[in-house]
Amino acid sequence: MSNRIVETRTVRTFGPPRRDRVQLMNLGLLAALLVAALALPYLGASSFVVSLASTILIAATLASSVNFLAGNGGMVSLGHAGIAAASAYGAGWASRQGFDPGMQVVFALGMTLAASLVYGLLSMRTSGIYFLMVTLAVGMLIYGLAFRLSSVTGGENGISGIARPEWMDSYWIYYYVVLGAFVIATAVLWIVGNSPFGASLRGIRDSESRMRSLGYSVRSYKLGAFMISGSVAGLAGLLAVWHTHFVSPSTAGVDRSVHLIVMVILGGIGTLLGPLIGAAVVVLVENVLSSHVDRWPTILGLIFILVILFARAGIAGSTRKLFRRLRARSKEAPPPDRGAPGGTAVPDGTNPARHDATPEGKDLQ
Amino acid sequence: MTSTKTRGRRSAGRLSALKTAGIAAVAALALTACAPPGAAEPAPTSGGSSGEAGGTLKVGYISPTTGNFAVAGQEMVDGWNLYWDINGAEVDGITIETIVEDDAGNPETSLTKAHKLVEQDKVDFIVGPLIANTALAVAEYTASVGIPNLHPVAASDDLTQRNANDLTVRTGSMGGSQANFPGGVWAATDGGYDTAVTLCADYAFGWESCAGFVQGFTQNGGEVLEQIWFPNTTTDFSTYVSQIQAAGADVVYVATAGGAPGPNFLNAYQGLGLDPDKLLMNCCALDQGTLRAMGDQVVGVKSVSYWAEGRDSAAVAEFIDAYKEFADGKVPGAYVAGGYMTASLVASVLKEKGLVTGEDLVSAITEYTFEDSIFGRVSWDDYNQMVGPVYVREVTAGDDGNFYNTPIATFEDVDQWLGRTPEEALAQPTYSQSFQGLE
Repeated sequence: MSNRIVETRTVRTFGPPRRDRVQLMNLGLLAALLVAALALPYLGASSFVVSLASTILIAATLASSVNFLAGNGGMVSLGHAGIAAASAYGAGWASRQGFDPGMQVVFALGMTLAASLVYGLLSMRTSGIYFLMVTLAVGMLIYGLAFRLSSVTGGENGISGIARPEWMDSYWIYYYVVLGAFVIATAVLWIVGNSPFGASLRGIRDSESRMRSLGYSVRSYKLGAFMISGSVAGLAGLLAVWHTHFVSPSTAGVDRSVHLIVMVILGGIGTLLGPLIGAAVVVLVENVLSSHVDRWPTILGLIFILVILFARAGIAGSTRKLFRRLRARSKEAPPPDRGAPGGTAVPDGTNPARHDATPEGKDLQ
Repeated sequence: MTSTKTRGRRSAGRLSALKTAGIAAVAALALTACAPPGAAEPAPTSGGSSGEAGGTLKVGYISPTTGNFAVAGQEMVDGWNLYWDINGAEVDGITIETIVEDDAGNPETSLTKAHKLVEQDKVDFIVGPLIANTALAVAEYTASVGIPNLHPVAASDDLTQRNANDLTVRTGSMGGSQANFPGGVWAATDGGYDTAVTLCADYAFGWESCAGFVQGFTQNGGEVLEQIWFPNTTTDFSTYVSQIQAAGADVVYVATAGGAPGPNFLNAYQGLGLDPDKLLMNCCALDQGTLRAMGDQVVGVKSVSYWAEGRDSAAVAEFIDAYKEFADGKVPGAYVAGGYMTASLVASVLKEKGLVTGEDLVSAITEYTFEDSIFGRVSWDDYNQMVGPVYVREVTAGDDGNFYNTPIATFEDVDQWLGRTPEEALAQPTYSQSFQGLE
């Protein structure tokens, strides 16, 4: 799918860009998606559908932040819900003290940076399963604080009545705010991912020792990547709390972090629109399918298993593969710009199999 | 996303495609300047109507029927459905139509489901959900759109205290502190105990339950020696039981939120050979789940709750017989009772007032005195909280092979203020480990 763009840009850091019809189609698809998203409230969608779309976009923003770390840095975080919750609690606490929404933003930002820094400092020396465990632990810590520190967080009851700024009070304006935030966050993560910084991150993902011997400060890169990812997660946390006007410890729950990883894997690790697709699947199953099917958790589980078994690259990644295969067949020849599938010597890192073969992908299976 | 640095033969075509996309995007942006058609729709009726005969009352019922709380959530739904199955889903020509939604115990899902029920299904009121944080989240939303919210099970004190509003009413349960306050009073007076040790779940519900008990106990001259807290996930209670043994108090008060901790605690307590006569438990530590698991072992153990399935009353007998038929001979617990109570209350109010919705429905409920409910005589206070009887109960074996919590003492008209005025009570901090309402 459109994540093809990511690859083309990846190429650019290593050599001259290659442009073809596919890329044009990707751009067109992105534009069409954006136009469709912009037009949604005008297409007769009810306020419920629009606010459900906001929910999907917020989940997608949060999943994007996980995807950025997993895709570029090979760091699968099991604690990102904790960062979003820290941000949400910052806004919630400010609201409980009677501060206006501007101050809520300040507190949310402060909490986000503090939480991201703690996560980053504790996890920057680790990778793989150890990274996963450290982020899980810090996430549990935030959950525990939210649950137990009731004088500040309201305990299990949480904090309610958190108001967003008045100008975005109506559901459809808020939808555009969320959409704008998602587009900007995705664009920023994409730009960072394709900058020299992103290339270095991928270098660290593929071989930490080589990058270290080349003189890169691996820890600083990891910390930097975590701060960027954490900021996006904090943004999603603030958007979520303004959407629901409410925050409780379950926001920080480990099941929420697991859901995020499910979204990322469903969509496709390291793809541009994977988080959006994954978030849409999970949110729709959870909120719409569950109205019609009693055993909806089973269906979500089956979808996940099927994706892992038959479409390891996720929905976005596998659609792209399928599309490419069809195109190759129609041309009666493999595309000239690609190495052999699963080739061993692809120097430019464009082989999609590389995404599938990252160690963290295996850890999760 | 739109790089205009185009090169090569196809640049013209690409440019025009980009232009088209750009124009479309700009057009869409321009559209956003004016409100979409849906935004102008009037908000759901908030004034409410009253006194009409006939019609349909649409009810949205949110409950966690999957996930960690699935058993309790399903029981809550069963209670509601059971009443309408017995009595027919029609009251004086008003048809009751229920849409059940699953929230999996997750506040975000709960809220989305509430939005769906209100905005898409246009329900007249919402019943549920079950878990405290989901209940508080939904109550705030429904109040903001003028839809009544009835709570059959949720026990959080704040639902009808600090977060009270005109459209939220608790119809099938009591707050954590309210339901346990009489337990403390009873222990210090009729129970004849002088000193107590408490063991409560370490989160809001446990803090509230314990606060109710210790206030009732100390206000009547009892002395609390020690308060012990356990994480909700505890499975091995032996260390806590040793602490209880070491405290050497006359009475041991135990509050869990239901589920496995109740039987696990009792096994540890009896395993160490401690005296079951000294025990006083809350609603949920000795609910039907515990009774079914422990059976004979817990006969005679005492507890305190607003629901007593062994109470001698026509309403309770009718309810229990119907549920036994429905659930293969099982006796209903407090969650089923909450759902059933809410349904019978709605039916009684509709009988008296005709079709009422919005605030009129809430005021019709709160002005109503339900003389012969399954809980006994129940009325509502200014904060829309139930004022009714609380029973000190003892486990007895029934003729049918089931075990029942049978009342041995009854406190009528228990309110949620624990002997204070509402203003005094609301000025306090919320209950926690460190604040239990004691001076």
